[in-house]
Amino acid sequence: MSDQSYLSLEKLTLAYGDSVAVADLDLSVRRGELIALLGPSGCGKTTTMRAIAGLLPVKSGNVILDGEDMTRTAPNKRAVGLVFQSYALFPHLSVYENVAFGLRLKGMKGAELDSKVQSGIASVGLAKFADRKPAELSGGQQQRVALARSMVMEPKVLLLDEPLSNLDARLRLEMRTELQRVQRETGVTMIFVTHDQAEALSLADRIVVMKNGAIEQIGTPEDIYNRPTSSFVADFVGFENIFALEGGGLKTDNGSVPLSVAPGLEAPSAAGLAWRPRMVTLGTGPFRGTVRGTSFAGHSREYLLDSALGPIKAEVDASEPVHVSGSDLSFDLPVHKAAQLSRIA
Amino acid sequence: MFQNRAEAFALALPAAIFAAAVFIVPVLILLSDGFRSLDGGWTLAAYGEFFSSPLNQAVFLRTLKLGALVTVVSAVIGYAAAFSIVSLSPAAKGRMTGLVVLPLMISPVARTYAWIVILGRTGIVNQAFQVLGLSEAPLRILFSETAIFIGLLQLFLPLMIISLISALENMPKDAVPAARVLGANWFQVFWKVILPLTKEGLVIGGTLVFTGCLTAYITPAILGGSKVLMLETLMYQQVAVSNNFVAASVIACILIVMSFAANLLLKRVATARNTQRKAAR
Amino acid sequence: MTARSLFVPTTLFLLATFLIGPFLIIVAASFSAGETLSFPPQGFSLQWILKVFTVESFRASFAMSMFLAIGGTAAALVLGIPASYALSRYRLPGAEIIRTIVSAPIIVPGIIVGLSLLRYVVVPFGVGITLALFLAHTALILPYAVRVVSASLDNLRSDIEEAAVLLGSSRLGAFFRVVMPNIKGGILSAFILGFVTSFNQVPVSLFLSGPGVRTLPIDMMAYMEIVFDPSVAALSSLLAFLSIGIVFAAERFLGFSRYV
Repeated sequence: MSDQSYLSLEKLTLAYGDSVAVADLDLSVRRGELIALLGPSGCGKTTTMRAIAGLLPVKSGNVILDGEDMTRTAPNKRAVGLVFQSYALFPHLSVYENVAFGLRLKGMKGAELDSKVQSGIASVGLAKFADRKPAELSGGQQQRVALARSMVMEPKVLLLDEPLSNLDARLRLEMRTELQRVQRETGVTMIFVTHDQAEALSLADRIVVMKNGAIEQIGTPEDIYNRPTSSFVADFVGFENIFALEGGGLKTDNGSVPLSVAPGLEAPSAAGLAWRPRMVTLGTGPFRGTVRGTSFAGHSREYLLDSALGPIKAEVDASEPVHVSGSDLSFDLPVHKAAQLSRIA
Repeated sequence: MFQNRAEAFALALPAAIFAAAVFIVPVLILLSDGFRSLDGGWTLAAYGEFFSSPLNQAVFLRTLKLGALVTVVSAVIGYAAAFSIVSLSPAAKGRMTGLVVLPLMISPVARTYAWIVILGRTGIVNQAFQVLGLSEAPLRILFSETAIFIGLLQLFLPLMIISLISALENMPKDAVPAARVLGANWFQVFWKVILPLTKEGLVIGGTLVFTGCLTAYITPAILGGSKVLMLETLMYQQVAVSNNFVAASVIACILIVMSFAANLLLKRVATARNTQRKAAR
Repeated sequence: MTARSLFVPTTLFLLATFLIGPFLIIVAASFSAGETLSFPPQGFSLQWILKVFTVESFRASFAMSMFLAIGGTAAALVLGIPASYALSRYRLPGAEIIRTIVSAPIIVPGIIVGLSLLRYVVVPFGVGITLALFLAHTALILPYAVRVVSASLDNLRSDIEEAAVLLGSSRLGAFFRVVMPNIKGGILSAFILGFVTSFNQVPVSLFLSGPGVRTLPIDMMAYMEIVFDPSVAALSSLLAFLSIGIVFAAERFLGFSRYV
């Protein structure tokens, strides 16, 4: 067993009845890593998480955790914790009893139980609320209880289902910090599921982008943000100008438009190129466009251009000269800044 | 949602098997009895025979008539009552609704028995009539269709009122004021706005009341006596007095078909309403 | 006062009189000192209330009705809780058929249930009347049990069971540790509804009576055909107050009406 693959999913195939939700998925997670499963709804991220927890039977393939094949292990014997999106606190039990639930099942009693529960509750800052029922807590507090309830069990892997999506902006930041703290202090391996790229980028060590039941790209937040390898990922992280390459030019509805590559640089060999609006240069360049719409966004100004390439989105510093709607101007899509895509959907 | 089918069946089957064995199979055999001829073939002869008897015809028609009459009268009273209750303050509304529900908790035997005291030869009604000089000899109200009608109405009116209360409460709040502003009088408001908007509640209440009347035993048994029969009391007589199980099976089939038809209508209305709600979202 | 402002109080007064009046007359008549049932009551006495407790057949049929109401409801819940659980938590093929089968007894008139049980179960299999009554009342209550328990299961998130399992509980353990405590109110409400339904039930039990074996309401009907004294009124009042008391307590402590 190596730390490189503390948790591995090997050729994992999952299905609801006859409809396959995840096919042949391979993933290796290091011990202590914080992984985000990112993708739109229906991409199989939650299904994968439920299979790791053992809540969904595996159709084929294996789940290996800490050197042990867990594929057929019952969920109550897996040492995997899960913080549900709805928190799933037991409504009839107090905060204290919710946190003590799993420990009591382990047979823990008396002072040992009490000190573990107390410190678990204290670690999420809820010492004062130990006697409250879940219904008497705010959403953020309920989530902390759910976190403490899982963490006192010292799980090998902690799974979190959309941990920030039910919280308002202020609580989101708080919870993000909290999760990072828990991860730092306990070194627990964490996998969380999210559909929000910002959440994944800010929290994860590595991001697994999923689409239609398969992995689209795995990488660090920097990789995913700056170097998406497919048009799907590029689109998901905000590259709004995405083109396939055809005969050395950009493919459009009206045929291929030749690319001008700066002298000394090689023509790209990728399947496609993608630019963020920020990467588009206005005022100079080989392409001509007409301003269709513009909006002011504080520090910058956004433009929507009509061009031979189709619609182009650009974003420039607010200090630059303003182009009014309807005006013609030249623009450039600098090849050296573009993300090189190996797959176009 | 759990996936394990074997587990699900293990949990659900005992109840299903019990209901099937104790209830569905015996009832089906009973029903099939009415379609059997002496040589073991299938026939509708028992139905022909049943309906050829003037007594049976009268009982059948009386049951339908009383069911329809009670349903219509309870709808009229029900609207007036539900309106009045909905217009009350929340606290008073709760108390009044409780008062409407309360009789449902009391044994129907006790509720029906009370009418003997009221409608009997020396009952309150006759006492009052004599004091007021409206009649010389005591009127015979008990053991008549009138008595059964009153008893059934009192028994089932709460079901209609409750259905209409919830229908009126689910009505869009501004519908009535809007119609008034547009110049509708109260009659038009009821006919054009309230009735269409509370139609489902009316159908649900009506089905409950009608099937209730159809299958009532206690009320016709106590207030109708042995002469004024309804289908259920007739069925009891056929078995207990005449030992005629074929006739009993025929009556059972009529009752089941009618109450299934009513329940089917109820389900249709309920489903239509659900689809409408979903569409509205 | 305008016509409209008179309408509501008048309607409500007449309604209350019609719905509750007869019951109040029965209560008043049970305190009569006279020998026959009448209203207004002749004098005041507790003799009829006290007599109820001394009539042997009332005592026996009361015990029978209590046994059927409690035993039948308990049996219906033992069958109905697992079935409701399966219907609400599993992807079950044929779920609608099963739901229809267990709720069918509510649609079919009770007298038919009683007669078919008598003809095709009691007689051919030599089943005792008491057992037959017990089976019939259980079948009758089953639909109510399934409906009320299903409703409270549907109101409970199912992920708390998954949470319990991930914390080390078995599936069965999760049911008893986190599901049962949270549907307790629904189960108790189902019990009360089943109890009242069974206790007041007449048509199902009509044909299922034998020497000395009778339910209380049927015994009351038989008694009132022969004797015209106020003891049935007294018994009716006592029973009414009993069931009203139970339902009120249930509403007060459980919020009964949420479940029914």
